[in-house]
Amino acid sequence: MIDPAWVSGLSAILFIIGLIGVFTRKNAIIVLMCIELMLNAANMQFAAAAIHHGDATGWVYALFAIAIAASEVAIGLAIFLAVYGKHETITLDDINVLSN
Amino acid sequence: MAEYAPLIILLPMLAMPVILFLGKVFNTNPTWKNTLKEGGIIALVAMGAALFISLAIIKDYLGSFSNNGDIFSLTWLNTAIWEGGASTTPVSFGFGIYIDHITVMLLFVAAFLCFLINIFAIGYMNTDAINDNRNHRFYAEFVLFCAAMLGMVLSDSFLGLFIFWEIMGLCSYLLIGFYYERPSAASAAKKAFMTTRIGDVFLMIGLIMLWDLFGSLDYSIVFDPANIALVNPGSLQMALGMMFIGAIGKSAQFPLHVWLPDAMEGPTPVSALIHAATMVNAGLYLVARMFPFFGAESMSGELIDLAFIIASIGGITAVMAAGIAFVQDDLKKVLAYSTMSQLGYVFTGLGVALWLANSLDWHHDPAAHTIVIVAFGAALFHLFNHAMAKGMLFMASGSVIHEVHHAHHHLHHDDHADDDEFDAQSMENMGGLASKMPITATAMLVGSASIMGLPLIGGFWSKEGIIANAWRVALEDPRFFFPAACVLLGAGMTGFYMTRMWVKTFAGKPSNEVAAHVGPTNSWIKTPLFILTFVTLSSVLLAGMGFTHWAPDSEYSFLSDKGLVDGIIYELGHAFANHDAFFFVLTYIAIALGAILGPFMAMSLFGGKLEEGEDCKPWFKPVISLNNWVYNKYHWDNTGIATSGLAIALQNRLYIDKYYDLAMVKIVAGFSNKAAEADTKIIDGAVKQIEDKSQKISTIVRSLTTGSARDYILWVAIGTLLIFFFIWGVA
Repeated sequence: MIDPAWVSGLSAILFIIGLIGVFTRKNAIIVLMCIELMLNAANMQFAAAAIHHGDATGWVYALFAIAIAASEVAIGLAIFLAVYGKHETITLDDINVLSN
Repeated sequence: MAEYAPLIILLPMLAMPVILFLGKVFNTNPTWKNTLKEGGIIALVAMGAALFISLAIIKDYLGSFSNNGDIFSLTWLNTAIWEGGASTTPVSFGFGIYIDHITVMLLFVAAFLCFLINIFAIGYMNTDAINDNRNHRFYAEFVLFCAAMLGMVLSDSFLGLFIFWEIMGLCSYLLIGFYYERPSAASAAKKAFMTTRIGDVFLMIGLIMLWDLFGSLDYSIVFDPANIALVNPGSLQMALGMMFIGAIGKSAQFPLHVWLPDAMEGPTPVSALIHAATMVNAGLYLVARMFPFFGAESMSGELIDLAFIIASIGGITAVMAAGIAFVQDDLKKVLAYSTMSQLGYVFTGLGVALWLANSLDWHHDPAAHTIVIVAFGAALFHLFNHAMAKGMLFMASGSVIHEVHHAHHHLHHDDHADDDEFDAQSMENMGGLASKMPITATAMLVGSASIMGLPLIGGFWSKEGIIANAWRVALEDPRFFFPAACVLLGAGMTGFYMTRMWVKTFAGKPSNEVAAHVGPTNSWIKTPLFILTFVTLSSVLLAGMGFTHWAPDSEYSFLSDKGLVDGIIYELGHAFANHDAFFFVLTYIAIALGAILGPFMAMSLFGGKLEEGEDCKPWFKPVISLNNWVYNKYHWDNTGIATSGLAIALQNRLYIDKYYDLAMVKIVAGFSNKAAEADTKIIDGAVKQIEDKSQKISTIVRSLTTGSARDYILWVAIGTLLIFFFIWGVA
C-alpha cells in the first residue's frame, strides 16, 4: 500500500504544473488542458484523503468531480468555438475586450 | 374718555393702509392731489382725532387720579411655560392701555407735535416738485410712525412698548430713506436702522432678563413694590442696564449717536418728527419708566451705579454734541447735534432724579420727596420744552431751506447745471433773512432762546432744574461732579452754537444773491410755527402751574396748589433768589454761561447789521443792534481756532464715525473675508480633495484591468492564496 502522503505530494506537483500552464500558455486549448490537470490533482487529493481517513466519502467526491469536469470541458470547448467565430483566433493574448 | 384711548393708536394706524391704497388708485387724480393733498388731509384728520382724544384723556387725568394705571386690556395669546417635569405656569400676553403722569406728558408731546408737523408737512412736501405723486407714501409712513409712538407711550407692558418701539425703528428707516434714489439717503437710512438695532438687541436682552426676574412684563406686575422686593438688586441692575443701552441707541446718545446727524437726509418734516415728537423721546420715556424700580424701598441704594452711568452718558453727549455743533455749517445738522446735546441734558436729569429716588428715604421724608419729584419733574419738563422748541426749530429751518431752495430755483430756473452744487441747507448761503421771513425768524429766535435757557423762556426752567439737581447730587456723591460739570459747561456751549446759528442765518448781510431773494413762506408752514412760538413763550405759565415738579406718583399733587399767580411768583423766587447760597450762585453762573457768555462769543464772530434799507419787525431790532454792536466792537479773528486740530476733529465728528467704519471694515469685513477663505479652502477644499484623490486612485486601479484573462486568473490565485494563508494564520 502506498503511503497517502506520496499521493498527496504528487497531486500538489500536478496542481502546480497545471497552474503554471494556465499562466504561461497562450493557446486556450492548452490552458483548458491545464485546468483539467488541476482538477485531476484535486481528485487525487480527495483519493489521498480517503485513504488516510479510511472513509469512502473522498472517492465519491472524486467521482462527482470527474463528471463535472467532463461537462466543463464541453462548455469550455463550446466557448472557444464561439470566440473563434467572433475573433478568428483563440490566442488568449489577442482577446482583451475587457481592457479599459 | 379713557375707554376711547385705543382709538388714539388705531385711527392713525388704519389711516396708513387707507392712504396707501387711495394713493395707488388715484395717484395723478387732481382732486386727490389738490383737495386731499395726496393723503395729507386724511393723515391730518386721523392725527387731529388722536390729538382730540388725547387731550380729553389728559384733561380727565389731570382732574382726578382715579384712572391711574391699567384702563384697557386685550389678551393676545394664552400659553404656558414648561417648568420641568409635569408642571407648567400659565402666561398670557396682551395689549393694554396704561395711563400715568409719564404717559400723559409724552402723550401730549407726541400727539400735539405729530399734528402740527402734519400741518407743516402739507405745506412743505406738497409744494416741492421732487415729491410729486409719491407723497402718499410719505403720509402713510408718517401716520404709522405717529401711531407707533402713541402706542409705545400708551402701552401697558414692556412687551407692547418693545413692539411699538420696533415699528418706529422700521418707520424711521422708511422715512429717512424717503429719497431712496439718493445713495446718501439710502445709506443714512441703513445706518439709522442698524445703529438703533444694536441698542434694540440689548433692550430685548434686558426685557428677557426682566421677564426672568418677574415672570411678566406688565407694568402692573413689575412696578408693584411687593414684587420688586423679591428681586435680587444686582440682577435687576443688569436688566435695567441692558434696557438703558436700548434707550441710548434710540435717543442717539454717545456711543450710539452716529445715526442721528445722518438722519437729516430725510425730508425736514421727518427730521422734526424724529427729533422732537417721536423717536428720540422713546429712549427718554423708557428710562423715565424705570422710575418705580429706582424708587422702590427694597432697592434703596442698590441701583446708584446705573443712575451714575445714565447721568454720565448724558453729560458726555451734552458736551460732545455741543462741541460738534460749533463747527457745523449745515443748518439742520446744527439742530441735529443740538438735539443730541439736549437729550443728554434730559438723561443727566433722569440719572440724577433716579439717583435721588434710589438713595433718599423719600417714602417717609417729605423734604426728600419734594427733592425727588422736582428732580424728576425737571427732566420731564426739559423733555417737554425741548420737544416743543426743537419741533419748532426744525419746522422753521425747513421753511428757511424750502424758501432758499425756491429762491435758488427762481433765480436759476434755466440753469440746471449748478443745481447739485448749490446747498440750500448750508448757512454759508444764508444771512440777513430776518427781514424776509419774519414769522420763521421769530420762531427760530424763540426756539433758540428756549434751547439756550434764556431766562423765563422755555428751556430755562427745566435746564436750571437739571443743573441745580446735578450739583445737588454731586455734593452727596463725588462721582457726579463729572456729569454736573458737563451740563454746566454744556449750557455755555449751547448759548454759543444756537446764537451762531441764528445770527448766521437771519442777521448780517445776505451772503449771496439767492439769500437776497428769499420770500415769505406759505400758511401751512406758518401755522404750526405760530402755535409753537406761543407754547414756548408761555412756559412761564406752565412752570407756574407746576410742570417743574411733574409728579412721578399720584400721591403728589400735579397742579401747584398755590394757584397760577402765586405759583409763578414761587417759581421765580425759587429760580432767581434761592435761599441756599450755593444754588443761588449756581443759577447765576449757569445764566452767565448760557445766556451771556455763549451768545456774546457767537455775536462777536458772526452776523452784524442787516442790509441798508431792509426793514424788520420791532422785536428783532434789539437783537440785531446788540449783535451789530458786539460784532463791531469785539470782533476778533478766529481763524487760529477754526483751523486748529480740535476744530478739524470736531468737523470730522471727532472721528467717531470714521473709527466705527474702520472697525466695521477691519473686524466685520475681516471676519467675513476669513470666513469666505475658510469656505473655499477647508469646506470646498475637502470635497475637492476627496474627488481628486479618488480620481487618482481609480486611474491606478483602472490600469489593472488589462483585459487579459490570464492576469485575472493570476489575481484570483494570489487572492486565494492570501485567503488561504489568512485562514491558516488564524487557525
